[in-house]
Amino acid sequence: MTFSGEFLAFMGLALVAIIGGVLLLNLTKVVHMVVALIFTFVAIAGIYVLLSAEFIAAVQILIYSGAITIIMLFGIMLTKHDDESEPKTGKWRKILVFLGIVGFAFAVYIGIYNFNIEQVPTTLHENNTMQIGKELYSKYIIPFELTSVLLLVALVGSIILAKNEKKEADSE
Amino acid sequence: MMENAWLIPLFPLLSFLILLLFGKRLKKASAYVGIIFTLASLIFSILVLFERFSEPTYMTKFEWLTIGDLHLTAGFEVNQLNALMLFIVSLVSFLVHTYSKGYMNGDERFPVFYAYLGLFTFAMLGLVLSPNLLQTYIFWELVGVGSFLLIGFYFNKEEAKAAAKKAFIMTRIGDVGLFIGMILLFWETKSFEYSEIFKAVDSGAVSGTMITLTAILIFIGAVGKSGQFPLHTWLPDAMEGPTPVSALIHAATMVAAGVYLVAALFPLFLASKTALLTIAVIGAFTAIFAASIGLVQTDIKRVLAYSTVSQLGYMMLALGSGGYVAGVFHLMTHAFFKALLFLAAGSVIHAVHTQNIEEMGGLWKKLKLTGPLFLIGTLAISGVPLLSGFFSKDEILIAAWEGGHPILFLLALIAAFMTAFYMFRLFFMVFTGEARSEMKHVHESPNNMTFPMILLGVLAIVAGYVNTPWFGSFFGDWLVDGNPALGHGHIEGPIWIMIAATVVSLLGIYVAYLMYFKRSLSRNWLSGTGDTLHTILLNKYYVDEFYQLTVIAFTKGFSYFLRFIDVFVVEGLVKGVVGIVQGLGKTGSKMQTGQVQTYGAVAFIGLALLAVIFALTGGYLR
Amino acid sequence: MSSVPASAFLALALILFCIGLYGALTKRNTVIVLISIELMLNAVNINLVTFSKYGMTPSITGQIFALFAICVAAAEASVGLAILIALYRTKKTVNIDEMNTMKN
Repeated sequence: MTFSGEFLAFMGLALVAIIGGVLLLNLTKVVHMVVALIFTFVAIAGIYVLLSAEFIAAVQILIYSGAITIIMLFGIMLTKHDDESEPKTGKWRKILVFLGIVGFAFAVYIGIYNFNIEQVPTTLHENNTMQIGKELYSKYIIPFELTSVLLLVALVGSIILAKNEKKEADSE
Repeated sequence: MMENAWLIPLFPLLSFLILLLFGKRLKKASAYVGIIFTLASLIFSILVLFERFSEPTYMTKFEWLTIGDLHLTAGFEVNQLNALMLFIVSLVSFLVHTYSKGYMNGDERFPVFYAYLGLFTFAMLGLVLSPNLLQTYIFWELVGVGSFLLIGFYFNKEEAKAAAKKAFIMTRIGDVGLFIGMILLFWETKSFEYSEIFKAVDSGAVSGTMITLTAILIFIGAVGKSGQFPLHTWLPDAMEGPTPVSALIHAATMVAAGVYLVAALFPLFLASKTALLTIAVIGAFTAIFAASIGLVQTDIKRVLAYSTVSQLGYMMLALGSGGYVAGVFHLMTHAFFKALLFLAAGSVIHAVHTQNIEEMGGLWKKLKLTGPLFLIGTLAISGVPLLSGFFSKDEILIAAWEGGHPILFLLALIAAFMTAFYMFRLFFMVFTGEARSEMKHVHESPNNMTFPMILLGVLAIVAGYVNTPWFGSFFGDWLVDGNPALGHGHIEGPIWIMIAATVVSLLGIYVAYLMYFKRSLSRNWLSGTGDTLHTILLNKYYVDEFYQLTVIAFTKGFSYFLRFIDVFVVEGLVKGVVGIVQGLGKTGSKMQTGQVQTYGAVAFIGLALLAVIFALTGGYLR
Repeated sequence: MSSVPASAFLALALILFCIGLYGALTKRNTVIVLISIELMLNAVNINLVTFSKYGMTPSITGQIFALFAICVAAAEASVGLAILIALYRTKKTVNIDEMNTMKN
């Protein structure tokens, strides 16, 4: 294994992503947690670039770092945002869940370890966006349209749920 | 007509169902429902009986249940015995229905009473129509249920409740015998059909010991139902029921079911000398045993009850001595005069509102109709010549003598003397002399009560003439017609037996006359010879007490032991199991916090555990 | 050709997935639980993209799949938050402990 630039970049990005995740778990203020997670999301976008998926990386930054994080921040602010993430969680449950996760990670890691998948030269990085666009509008046209329906449903659903308040107020 | 005989039991069943459903609304009218339906049964029964005189036995059956090669059938049969029993049962039932309208008047559970009567009549009629043992057994138990309900009719009376339970349990003991016998017979002959059983017995397919065993087991069932020693104690106690019920069930029909069963299975019993001897001995012993108790009882219905037990013993003696005709003949005459006696006794009780004969007296002048009718019944049961009881009792004595049982014959003769004595003691104490207590408003019973008594009185006089040594034995010949195994219609016996029987019964009457009418003989004559004897008789030989001390004490002890096991072992186990389940349930319900996160955690931990085990045991990617 | 082995990406995805899982199972604040779930989805996306590059027949399909997953995740986040806010209105809490109406 050589310490190529690519590898260094991977190590750096992975470190940032993991630190972000750990901070998510350990910070006390909810807003801080979300901010910590932004680092993770951005780092993951970098990982995507390493994996020759520039378009996904851009989408990742737009959707996750942008939209979802903002939505979450709104959610926190609309609710009891001053509430600190209390340490009330049962100690035993934390330990048990932790042990379970360690076990799970161990089991999966056995699978990943020595997993030498063959590598062939690819052209994914050349005109990545164009390739995705061609695929989306030819082979995956129906799922793509369905996705738009899904998004519409989610939109309408969210509005209905949010509107509920006024209806309740009216009925009262 | 005979092919429609199956309708006969259905009429009372219909009456039962109607009264069960609409009894509350019908109120008084329920009596008419019962009377009309039993009248229909009676008319059908008479038609069937007359048709049976000229035509052969009718039998029909259909397959009821098929298990492999096994075919159980159901159906009905009209042979001589069945036709006769149909007539007796429906007649007495009809008369009792009519009589009860007056006797039970004013009772708040009037419709229920008629419903029960309907149920009982249905069961009894069904019993006598059954062509196979299984069907017989079903109706046999239904009869028991009917009897239980009717004895316990006054269920708020402690004694009635106890008596009902006692009757049910005592007869159940007998029924177990019947049931085992039935199953054994089925095992041996592969059939419940009477005809198949007789065929198998005739052809020698069943071993001698087995015949004796099954016959005696079935006889035990008859012992229970017919109140023979040692299962007789329920019958006197059953007098707690309403008097019409006593007349219907405990005089004329149900207790005769035991005799009927032995008669119906007579060919089986004939095949075993031992079984016949057992029946004869138990019959004779019961006859004299019950008669001796009857000598001292003071309750009018109890005296009659013991006389019933005694007369049933007579019938058993007759059957056991091979006198099929004599037994069935006495069954018929007894049904008439004993029903008459009970109804008359009911009329007396209705008039004076007491059952203790010590408190009665001088009723002859006050009860102008009941008195003579009671006298007819008393004369008939005492075996005074020219009345029905005389002929049938004579037949039995001849049968016992000819059957080769001189000792049993002697016992029967003594019992006849006692019967005459205690019946006339009863008569004199109730109807003659001075009133022994204040009797106000003594009045004759209404017409619907006297009418059945008059009819029964006539029958009690003339019923004997169908089978006499003088005017031909038409009845006996008919009864055994086409069935030579059952013996002759009339057994010729020495003439001195008839004379002896007459003398003995007249002597009994004379002694009673001296003692209770003339009072020239001290009433304490019996007690004078031995106080002990009197006490023993008054306490019915302490049979109840004996049972109390032995069987019941043992049962109770055993029950306590079982209860101990139940409480400490079984219940302990059960409680343990319950505790474990409850604990698990409580733990489980605690886990149900309703928090999705917890559920997720638990599910995930399980999955992780599986994954780890899978990875460690080496199933992964290999 | 890449000098970073595929297993490195998979290991990173595994770690992120585990962090997300732990957060989803232990955190009390519902918003954080939702975010943790997003993190888990991201880890899955890394896997998808990794396998689109590595292997005998690299294909763009993996990336398309990741795109769809992101799409669904966005929809899920919006609906989840809408529900959360509706719930907050009636319960006045975002504490997941107190959302146990399933029990009764």
